[in-house]
Amino acid sequence: MANDNPNSKAATKGSENSDLYKKREKIYPREVHGIFATMRNLAMVALLGIFYVLPWFDYDGHQAILFDLPARKFYIFGWTFWPQDFIYLTALLLIAAYALFFFTTLAGRLWCGYACPQTVWTEIFIWIERKFEGSRQKQIKLDKGPWNSERILRTGGKHAAWIIFSLFTGFTFVGWFTPIDSLYSDIMAGDISAWGIFWILFYALATYGFAGLMREQVCIYMCPYARFQSVMFDKDTLLIAYDEDRGEPRGARKKGIDPKEAGLGDCVNCGLCVQVCPTGIDIRNGLQYQCIGCAACIDVCDEVMEKVNQPKGLVKYTTEHALKGGKTHILRPRIVVYAALLMIITGALIFSIATRTPLELDIIRDRNVLYIENDEGLIENVYTLKVINMTNNDQTYRLSVSGLQGLEMEIRSDEITVETGGVAEVPVRLATDPENLKTASSVVNFTIESLTTEGLSLTESGRFLGPISR
Amino acid sequence: MWLVSVFWVHHKKRAYGETMSSKATSLGKESEISQFQNLVSIFWPSFLVASLSTILFFAFFDPTELASISGYPEVSRLAGYTIGFFLFWFISAVSSGLTYYFRQPCHKPVSESE
Repeated sequence: MANDNPNSKAATKGSENSDLYKKREKIYPREVHGIFATMRNLAMVALLGIFYVLPWFDYDGHQAILFDLPARKFYIFGWTFWPQDFIYLTALLLIAAYALFFFTTLAGRLWCGYACPQTVWTEIFIWIERKFEGSRQKQIKLDKGPWNSERILRTGGKHAAWIIFSLFTGFTFVGWFTPIDSLYSDIMAGDISAWGIFWILFYALATYGFAGLMREQVCIYMCPYARFQSVMFDKDTLLIAYDEDRGEPRGARKKGIDPKEAGLGDCVNCGLCVQVCPTGIDIRNGLQYQCIGCAACIDVCDEVMEKVNQPKGLVKYTTEHALKGGKTHILRPRIVVYAALLMIITGALIFSIATRTPLELDIIRDRNVLYIENDEGLIENVYTLKVINMTNNDQTYRLSVSGLQGLEMEIRSDEITVETGGVAEVPVRLATDPENLKTASSVVNFTIESLTTEGLSLTESGRFLGPISR
Repeated sequence: MWLVSVFWVHHKKRAYGETMSSKATSLGKESEISQFQNLVSIFWPSFLVASLSTILFFAFFDPTELASISGYPEVSRLAGYTIGFFLFWFISAVSSGLTYYFRQPCHKPVSESE
């Protein structure tokens, strides 16, 4: 099979990037239309829409979704999470990991092709590039040509647009972590903090570099997922493949000729599948780890097959089993296990968030003495309570104790006031008659009840120590 | 970060002579690892690890409190996160850089690079 990669042929003289890169042949992906291109565009609009628009929405007087790093709290609609809620983030990361495993085993590199920020931003950058430099052919011609005024204008315009878009992306990114309204007005007033500027520029540079300049190299060299995703593949995983039995031997043919009589397969060797590939591979060479599963080659090949009156699907979503004429099994042990784990963790997360009390009570016993016998002959225990207010407003609480008969409580003030997100340390002294103590260690329950928010209360138990029972 | 880059480039020059780019390309062909990939293998894993460490560390420790007990009360939270992130990145880049360095064969034939 002679190397007939039209992409490389066209691009060899095009441009070689700097020494840091591998002698990289610049890839000029050809524009493609079709069902999967439409799906990819929809995903792009939806995901970029979420990214750029969502920070501007308010909910209940605050930004609807805000991971407020300067204030150390996360707003997600009606919920507010504090660093104490770290466990939820862990659960969320677990869910993300298992979801990735599940979908990879089931449908291959769906994530890469449709949802990965690298793919999504590269697509929008390519879209901008086409607006300035035109189609694939025009871009190749432009890059081969001299630096005349047209090239300076077109290429310069492209980079200018990329930079503006990147800066806006950086601004929006920071807007997920500090309130975007005030960030915007700070910028307009020229009053933004140096660290804010720094992160906007940092993310803008990353966007410009990754989506504008590096593109497929990020997937090929930098992405850990691209390297290990193949271990999650089995023979029933959906992948994009070229039907070799049907396509080979490939070759150009005259119109109206029966390919079978000419000893040819269905592949007309037009090379379009290579031209549309964003990572510059030839899908006909078999499964390659550079393939991000974007399905551009499916769309373009279907178009060609239609033109030459052959059935579609010479390149298609299929499985290794199906390709060998077997049957694809969707339900397999791996899938079931991943799905089960995913449902269990998701269920647990939803349950625990739904039943979450935005209040925490830690009971710390005085470490110096186990108990004191006071002047009145009562047994005393001393505690420090830590009350953490995880609601969005200041709260006043009342403390009560139960669990032992005749329990007397001594506390600085009847009402405990804790500001939003704050912690109050409350010393508490409990005393009871030794008659009431049946064992050396008894359980006492501390109940803290909000006077500000009705129904907000929490009970935690602690130990009450006394002399060995008589 | 800058220090690590300087170290890396310096090392490259020493190992392969001043005709770095041409030599490195031929070396790249031998080992099938490009310069770009070498750089990435130092700075990218350390970036990922630094991101994770930053999240984990600052979920438990408030940078303003750390700053005030260390006698720098003027450091803001955003500044603390930023410094922390780059410190983590620097440390893990040093680690990745050393890994890269020690993976090289100890002795190179002198004639080849001169």
